[in-house]
Amino acid sequence: GSMRALAAGPQTHFGFQTVTEAERREKINQVFESVAKKYDVMNDSMTLGIHRVWKDVLVLKMNPSPGTLLLDVAGGTGDIAFRFINYVRSVRERQLQRRLKHHQNLSWQEIAKSYQEDKCNSLGDSQVVICDINKEMLKVGKEKAQDLGYSEGLSWVLGNAEELPFDDDMFDVYTIAFGIRNVTRIDLALREAYRVLKPGGRFLCLEFSQVSNPLLSRLYDLYSFQVIPVLGEVIAGDWKSYQYLVESIRRFPPQEDFKAMIEDAGFFKVDYQNLNSGIVAIHSGFKL
Amino acid sequence: VRCQLSPPQRPLQTSAVLRRVSDEQKKEPLASSSQQQFDSQPTDHQPEQEPQDPHSSYPGQGGQESEDYESEEQLQHRILTAALEFVPEHGWTAEAIAEGAKTLGLSGAASGMFQSDGSQLVLHFVSQCNTKLSELLEQEQKLVQQGEAEKKPTDQFLRDAVEARLRMVIPYIEKWPQALSILLLPHNIPSSLSLLTTMIDDIWHYAGDQSTDINWYTRRAVLTGIYNTTELVMMQDSSPDFEDTWRFLENRVADAMKMGNTANQVQSTGEALVQGLMGAAVTVSNAETSRALR
Repeated sequence: GSMRALAAGPQTHFGFQTVTEAERREKINQVFESVAKKYDVMNDSMTLGIHRVWKDVLVLKMNPSPGTLLLDVAGGTGDIAFRFINYVRSVRERQLQRRLKHHQNLSWQEIAKSYQEDKCNSLGDSQVVICDINKEMLKVGKEKAQDLGYSEGLSWVLGNAEELPFDDDMFDVYTIAFGIRNVTRIDLALREAYRVLKPGGRFLCLEFSQVSNPLLSRLYDLYSFQVIPVLGEVIAGDWKSYQYLVESIRRFPPQEDFKAMIEDAGFFKVDYQNLNSGIVAIHSGFKL
Repeated sequence: VRCQLSPPQRPLQTSAVLRRVSDEQKKEPLASSSQQQFDSQPTDHQPEQEPQDPHSSYPGQGGQESEDYESEEQLQHRILTAALEFVPEHGWTAEAIAEGAKTLGLSGAASGMFQSDGSQLVLHFVSQCNTKLSELLEQEQKLVQQGEAEKKPTDQFLRDAVEARLRMVIPYIEKWPQALSILLLPHNIPSSLSLLTTMIDDIWHYAGDQSTDINWYTRRAVLTGIYNTTELVMMQDSSPDFEDTWRFLENRVADAMKMGNTANQVQSTGEALVQGLMGAAVTVSNAETSRALR
């Protein structure tokens, strides 16, 4: 009521509630602190494992070559980062094989030397910086990296997408997977993305979007509002966080509107690709 | 569907990369608009098209700033041209495009603007070669018109034109088979076919052959056949300076000239066509009959 109107700061939304921007940041922070440990499990159960495919498609679309410097924002538990590492590693292997095939006139010593040099550089100087605003998510990510055996090429940085702790023109690619809808000022995050990318660099966003097919849309709504919060309660003991999740998906702008926002931040050749009829979309733009 | 007549209203932010179009570039709108866009099958969603021509001006519209900057396509053309230098090493691939982008001071990630199968790189190159050929033939024609050169007989003209065009491929000859297979991919065929026929028609246009006993489609088909077969021969040719290829070319053109001089050939081409159609009709009707009998 009127008390709300006197609260400090501009109004925004938290799921379907209306809150101030400061309150929103705090609430979202709490959501992720509470779900961090069960984040991956919940992703698998809610999307029936399909989120893995979505993330694979994102990295495939990126098609990074060795030497790429990636900034993965809201990358918390490392899903995109690990896929990136795997990808550049296999591209690098193929590169080395091709090079060896060409150098058929080299002596054994020369070949052995080039083997050694390349072994120390299995990623071809590729690197990924994982930036997240939430300490708990980063912690889970680092532990996962250790368990899975990822050691080189990764850095973990605590930071806010609306105000990144990096210099201008640094990165080749900026990704944000299922993170941007949790950002309070999306326009600021987009402008920051533009700032930290090198000229020619690419912005990629994987996010829930709008389903256009009416039948699918009804089923999707049913599933979202009836099933997901229940799963949240059963698996993570946290109904409200998953209620927020579902509502935040509905609140996020549809494909075309988001595309316009990305263009407003200065990106060119902005385009999107729907996955699963629009349940999820990948938006792409270039800093030209 | 929102119809955009002007570039999207962008905040007046200087583009990081798109250069200001110099006065020189402004004088050649024909060159850039004749270079067609070769996007093959779109992904499942068609994004809104931004206006292609950077030189048009719509009085009273906002966004005048972007008029002075090169368009995205011009930048893409620059990247593809820069990428050609890396084709001998990397082939017609996204890697070559990434390297090309880097020489322009851009991130390699800019190669993401193009299709990952290298189609656009090959089509760009072919289009560039065709343009070069047209310019060459145009210059030659001027010289003839000004009386500074003799008009070549048709067979000589065709041989020289095809040789000139095929020679442009020589720096990339090792990776040319790869390029040919890319051009034959189903989604590229409309573009590659269009480029080919335009080039062939161009050659005939400059050949200035006035004889009316050869019909136009036959001419096009014949020269296309000569060009394609010579190109394939060139792939296999290891003779010094491809002299075997040029000899092959000479023979094929001579054959075609002989054929062209007999009006009978035209008739028999026509007859063959009709027979083909009859054959097709018979096959179809047989199929129908057999189905009806089941």
